Amino acid sequence: MWDAIIIGAGISGCSMARELARYQLNVLVLEKGHDVCAGTTKGNSATVHAGYDPEPGSNKAIYNVRGNRMYPALCEELKVPFTKNGMIIFAINDEQMEEVHKLHAMGNRNGVTTKVCDRAALLEIEPDMGEGVIGGLWVPDSGMVCPYNLVIALAENAARNGVEFRTSTEVLNVEKAEGGWLVKTPTEDFRAKYVFNCAGTYADKFNNMVSKDTFRIIPREGQHLILDRDLAKYTKATICQTPENLPGGGHTKGMGLMPSVDGTIILGCNADQVEDPDFSDNTREGMDKILDYFDVKWKYMPISKHIPKFPRDAVITAYGGSRAHPDRDDFILGEPEDAPCFINLAGIESPGVTAAPAIAEDMANILLDREHPAPKADYKPGRELKEPFRTMTTEERRAAIQADPDYAKIVCRCEQVTEAEIRDAIRRPVGARSVSAVKMRTRAGMGRCQGGFCSSKVLQILCEELHLDPLEITQSGGHSNILVAKACEPDGGKHS
Amino acid sequence: MMKTDLVVIGGGSAGLSAAIEARKQGIEDIVVLERSPYLGGILRQCIHNGFGVHKYKEDLTGVEFAKRVADEALALNIPCIQNTFALDISPEKVVTAMNPEQGLFEIQAKAIVLAMGCRERSRGALMIPGARCAGVITAGTAQRYLNLEGYLPGKRIVILGSGDIGLIMARQFVVESAKVERVVEIMPYSSGLARNISQCLEDFDIPISYNSTVINIKGRGRVEAVTVAQVDESRRPIPGTEFDIPCDTLLISAGLIPENELAKAAGIQLSDITKGAVVDDNLMTTLPGVFSCGNVLHVHDLVDHVSAEGTKAGANAADYLKAPLEIGAAKIPVEDGFGVNGAVPQFVCREGEPTVEFMFRPRNKFRNCTVCVDLDGVCTKRFKKLVLTPGEMCSVVLPRALLNTARDKITMRVEV
Repeated sequence: MWDAIIIGAGISGCSMARELARYQLNVLVLEKGHDVCAGTTKGNSATVHAGYDPEPGSNKAIYNVRGNRMYPALCEELKVPFTKNGMIIFAINDEQMEEVHKLHAMGNRNGVTTKVCDRAALLEIEPDMGEGVIGGLWVPDSGMVCPYNLVIALAENAARNGVEFRTSTEVLNVEKAEGGWLVKTPTEDFRAKYVFNCAGTYADKFNNMVSKDTFRIIPREGQHLILDRDLAKYTKATICQTPENLPGGGHTKGMGLMPSVDGTIILGCNADQVEDPDFSDNTREGMDKILDYFDVKWKYMPISKHIPKFPRDAVITAYGGSRAHPDRDDFILGEPEDAPCFINLAGIESPGVTAAPAIAEDMANILLDREHPAPKADYKPGRELKEPFRTMTTEERRAAIQADPDYAKIVCRCEQVTEAEIRDAIRRPVGARSVSAVKMRTRAGMGRCQGGFCSSKVLQILCEELHLDPLEITQSGGHSNILVAKACEPDGGKHS
Repeated sequence: MMKTDLVVIGGGSAGLSAAIEARKQGIEDIVVLERSPYLGGILRQCIHNGFGVHKYKEDLTGVEFAKRVADEALALNIPCIQNTFALDISPEKVVTAMNPEQGLFEIQAKAIVLAMGCRERSRGALMIPGARCAGVITAGTAQRYLNLEGYLPGKRIVILGSGDIGLIMARQFVVESAKVERVVEIMPYSSGLARNISQCLEDFDIPISYNSTVINIKGRGRVEAVTVAQVDESRRPIPGTEFDIPCDTLLISAGLIPENELAKAAGIQLSDITKGAVVDDNLMTTLPGVFSCGNVLHVHDLVDHVSAEGTKAGANAADYLKAPLEIGAAKIPVEDGFGVNGAVPQFVCREGEPTVEFMFRPRNKFRNCTVCVDLDGVCTKRFKKLVLTPGEMCSVVLPRALLNTARDKITMRVEV
C-alpha cells in the first residue's frame, strides 16, 4: 500500500513528488511517457509569469503570483538556470496604450509590480526597442526557466529522497478500494491511500472515473520556433505586444519573443483547439502564423536594430505542445466532495509552470494536515550537478578535463556537450534512457545541426551505459527506434 | 603557450591538402587539428566512387581518396592531432583546443587555415510540419549509420531534396534491400550532379518528383507516412495535389551549410549568400593571416575542387608566412549579377598570380548561355556555356592584368 500515487510526471506531478519527498511517506509516480516531462510541460513558452493578467481572485492569479515568488529560491536550490529578465508589453498606438493602463490596473489588483512607461522610459530598460513603439508596460518580475530542466531537477530530487518513478506506465483506471484507491496499469495494480491527479490533458478522464463532479479538459496546442543562439545577445527582456487583435486569438498572451535561459530565442505562440490530447505536431498554419507575425512586427523588436529583417534562416527548429484547458476556465484544485483523498491538480494551463510549486505546497497540505507524517531527517533539498561544459570558464574546463578526460570529448559540437555530461545524464537518478531524454538533460542535439552529427554518438553511449543493442535505442520510447535493421541482412535479422 | 607557424583546423581533404602544400612550400612548423579519431573528414563514410577524377585521374571511392591525402600528409611528417576539438579562435590568432591526452591548450599561430567543412540543413531549419517522431534523418547521418556503424535507419524511404548525398543514399538503400519510394524536389531541377541522377535514380528505377515537397509527416513513434504536394512558382503547396506515401523514414538531403562558428567567434566577416567567410583571391579572410578553403568556404560539388582549393590556401598561407601581405592593400570587390549565387572570391587583389579563378553556383538552370564578367559595369569577357545548373559549380579564369583595369567593381552574371 502506497501512501500516495501521483499520476503524471510533468511540472505538477514532479512538484508534488518533491513536496511529499520531504516526509516519511511511500510515494510512487506513474508516467505514461518514456521519460518525465513528456507531455504538456515540455512544449510551452518557458516563461515564469509575473501574474499581472489572470482574473483577480482566481486560482490562476493566486498561485501564479505565489509561484513566481518561489522561483528564485527553488531554482537556486535545484541548480536550474532561471533569469528574471522582465517583460515588456509594448504599444504602438493610443488604443494599445489604453490596454497597457488596463493591464497595469489588473497587475495592481493581483499585487504584481508593473510600470507604465512612455517611449523614453522603455528605452532606459531596452535601449534598442524599435521605432514606432510609443510605450508599454514593464513587468520586472517576469522570468525565464527551462521547464523540462526544472521538471527533471524536481524528479531527480524526489528520487534522491526516496520517491519511486515508473515511466512508460500508463494508468488505465482508478477506482475506490479498501482504505483508499486501486490504480490499474497494464502490468500491475497498485493500492494507495491518496491519489494526486496530475495527468495534464488526461486529468478529466481520471477525475470523471471517481467523481460525479465532472469536468472536461479541452486540449489546445501552441507552437513555437527557436532561433539560433547568435541573436540572443541583442535582447534581454521578453517582448510581447498588447494582447489585442493578435493572430492566435484571445487564448494566449499573444505573440512574444522570449530569450531562453539557454541563450536561444523562442518565438510564439499560436493556440488552436485540437482533438488529440497528445497532439504536439507542428503545422504549416501554426508555423506560418508565427513567421508572418514576425515578418511584420520584427521592426519593433530590439534585435531589428542589428538585424533589420526577420531572419527566417535563423530558425533552427520548431516545437509544439498541448495545454490542458479546462472547461471551467480556472485551475481545478483539491478533492472533489465525493472523492476524499483523490486530489486534483487539473486544468493546469498557462501560467501552470509558474504556479506549480505553489499549488503543490497547498495540495500536499491536504495530506499533511490529516496524516501528520514525520519529516525525513536525512532530506536533501538540492541535487548534485556539475556546471555544463558550455558555460564553464576556461579554467573550470581545464580542471574538469583533468578530473575526467571525457570532458575533452565533444559529442554535440553545436551546443558543446561533452561525453562526460552525456554519461552523467544516463547515470543520474531518473536517468536518460533515450536519445531525446539525453537531449533534454544535456542539450546534445538541440543546436543548429539538430543532432545530425551527434545522434549516432549519443546512441553509442546509451548502448554502452545501458548494455543495449543499437536496434533497441529509441528516440523517445515506445516504437520510436532510431535504427531498424543490421545492414546486409535483408530479412531485418536481429543483431547477434 | 605553444607557438606554431601554421594551424590547420580540420583534417579532411581541404585541411590536409592545405597542410601538404604549405609543407611543400617550406613551412616546417605546422599542426593539423582534427576533431574525430580519423583523418579524411566526411570522405570516410563515402564508400561510393566518383572521387579523384581530376586530382588523381582515377575513379576512387571517398575512402580511398581520403587515404591517399592522409598518407601524403603522414609521409611528410605533418603533425595531425586527432580527437582534438578547436573551441575558439581569437582575433589575435590564438587557437584554444582540447583533447583527452593534453587537456585544454592554446596555440599562438602566425597563420591559420580554416577547413571545418559543412553541416546538413535539418528538418528544423526547413520547418517541415508534422509529427515529431523518429525516422526523420538527414542523408549524411544515414550514411554514417549505414557505412560506419553497419545499421539501416529505415526500410521504406522517401527522400526530400535531390542533393548528392541523398541521391547516393537512394542507390545504397536499394542495394541494402530497402525500398526508396520517391525523391521529392521542390525546385524544377536537381540540386545534385547530373551523373548522380542518372546513376543513382534512373538506373534503379527510383522516381523523382520536381516542383514538389513534403507538407506533412505522420506517425506515432516512427514515421508512418509523409504527405507530398506540388508547389506553385513561389514554392507554395498547391491545394488538391497532396497525396500520402506510406514509409518509415524521411531522408532529408536539402542543402549543406558551412560550419563557421569558429570564424564568427574570431570576428571574421561572413557572406550571407555562401555562409562562408568573405575572402580575397588568396582565400584570405577579413582577418589577416586566416585563410579559408573547402566546404567551410562555400559548398563544393566535387572533392577534387575542395582539395585544389585547400592546396591553394596552403600555398597562400606559406607565402603569407614568408612575407605577410600588406594589410589594407587595394582590393576590387566582386559582385553577383543576374543568375549568379555567391561568387568566390569576393575581392580581387591588385597584385598576385597572373590569373584569378572565380567559382559560383548558378541561381537557376540555364542552357546555351554566357557567363559575362563586367568591369565597372562594362562586359569585358564572355564565356559560352552549354548548360549551367545549381547542382554544379561554375568556374571561370581571368587574367589579373585584365581584372586590374576595373576601378570600382567586378560583376559576374549570366546572360541567357
